[in-house]
Amino acid sequence: MSKSTEQAIIDELRTQFSQELLEAKATRNRRVFMEVSPQAYKPVVDYAVRTMGFTHLSTITGLDSAKGFEIMPHLSRSGAVLTVKVTVPREDPTVETITDLIPGAILYEREIHDLVGVVFRGHPGLERLVLHEGWPEGVHPLRKEYKAVQPEPLRKA
Amino acid sequence: MAISTFDVPVGPQHPALKEPVNFTFTVDGEHVVGVRPRIGYNHRGIEKAAESRTYIQNIYLMERICGICSVAHTTTYVQNVEYVLGKEIPRRAEFYRVLINELNRIHSHLLWLGVAGHEIGFDTLFMYVWRDREHVMDILEMLTGNRVNYAINTIGGVRRDITPEMVGKVRKVMEVVEQRVTYYRKAAAAEPTLLTRVKGIGVLKTEDALKLCAVGPTARASGVKSDVRADDPYAAYDEVPFNLVSYDLCDVLSRVLVRVDETLESVKMVKHCLDHMPAGPVRVKLPRVVPAAESVSRIEAPRGEVIHYLRSNGTDKPERYKVRAPTLGNIPSVCEMLTSKGDYAVRIGDIPIALASIDPCFSCTDRAVLFIDPSRGKEWLWTFEHIRKYAGRV
Repeated sequence: MSKSTEQAIIDELRTQFSQELLEAKATRNRRVFMEVSPQAYKPVVDYAVRTMGFTHLSTITGLDSAKGFEIMPHLSRSGAVLTVKVTVPREDPTVETITDLIPGAILYEREIHDLVGVVFRGHPGLERLVLHEGWPEGVHPLRKEYKAVQPEPLRKA
Repeated sequence: MAISTFDVPVGPQHPALKEPVNFTFTVDGEHVVGVRPRIGYNHRGIEKAAESRTYIQNIYLMERICGICSVAHTTTYVQNVEYVLGKEIPRRAEFYRVLINELNRIHSHLLWLGVAGHEIGFDTLFMYVWRDREHVMDILEMLTGNRVNYAINTIGGVRRDITPEMVGKVRKVMEVVEQRVTYYRKAAAAEPTLLTRVKGIGVLKTEDALKLCAVGPTARASGVKSDVRADDPYAAYDEVPFNLVSYDLCDVLSRVLVRVDETLESVKMVKHCLDHMPAGPVRVKLPRVVPAAESVSRIEAPRGEVIHYLRSNGTDKPERYKVRAPTLGNIPSVCEMLTSKGDYAVRIGDIPIALASIDPCFSCTDRAVLFIDPSRGKEWLWTFEHIRKYAGRV
């Protein structure tokens, strides 16, 4: 029986990065999720882009979880979406940039820098993208500790 | 003497777009040599808001991400929740989603064609195209009950079914649209007024489109053959045949041709859906509590790939919901189009059409008007037919 495409992707990356690959799963047709260690993050993305043909970066998701901040670039090629997942510690929220591998990542990394507060080392210009200039420094709305301010009701009910 | 350049800020209140965005153009005489985008004026915190709403409430939140491709975001969203629940929905509902998504694409591409005409000062084209677009809007209202935010998708299927009378009406309108768009297709390739303003303008080379991860018609007009409907078929797209339209002229003309041809393809797809829609229910009831998991859902909206990421935590509210709309994906590409390099010169006068050529999103308003006569204490609702009659026209 021939292997599924999803399993083939997992196997190929497992052979290349056996130690660094923490978890891999195919959730459904054409969807692969792969958790890697921080030092393997860039090599895995590099390998996926250059060797496996995942040249399109759909977006990068930044997420605040119990383990720290998860950075997930969603890479795609025809017929498969590969989500690489790396967890960066809360105390030192930095991770290497992938903009030199995929220039299309520039805005996505800036967006995460604004909203989750993760610093991408080597990014060409990590300026504000979506937050207003007057927004306080160091406040990142997509962190779980951030609670939206409820405006005072104008009239008491 | 060193050549001096200076910065021209354009926006946030914009001459070319109806939505706030700011671009700082560095100009050298008449030529644009650099561009810095500044977005976020419309950032509404929808991703954060989604975390405090239930999955059902979120359908209505997602509907409001965009006023034009509203059905694209709800389709992506409900699909994502269905993926996590691991449930199939009735085939008829999947066909119905394709039908509404393609009608949405027709109206969106026609809207864009009109705007493109307007940006180059060809307002006759704008008037004609928007008149034809109204037919499609009427059809969408008939099918879904709404003109803009259709509210047709729900977790487990769609909320309304199509009746045989509706099928006849949709078919009739599709004939009209096909005939009109074929005419525009002919005009776009031959009309000198149009050609001079779009040929060789806003060039995005194939390798740049790939490198900058351009999506949708912008990528396909640069010779990149990518379309989520073909690469990653969802709903009933695996059964609805269509040609992947792609041109490699890499300029605004190329984007006009891609969108016009795609509109004709969508007309064919709508007809196919009407002919081949299987019988059966359009909705199944699915649980409101979603198991802990993660999922990625993608669809091809009129402007390009929409991708949503869902992390659920076993409650009735998502842990994290991430949305990426196509315009953000195309901003690096439009900056590339607007930068002069070597022989390629971007003139200031070409900024509006080059910017508009990625079809950045802006809202459309509803038109139901509630009239109140305070002296008589009466209120009534005017339909479009009433307004037409009142205006003395048919």
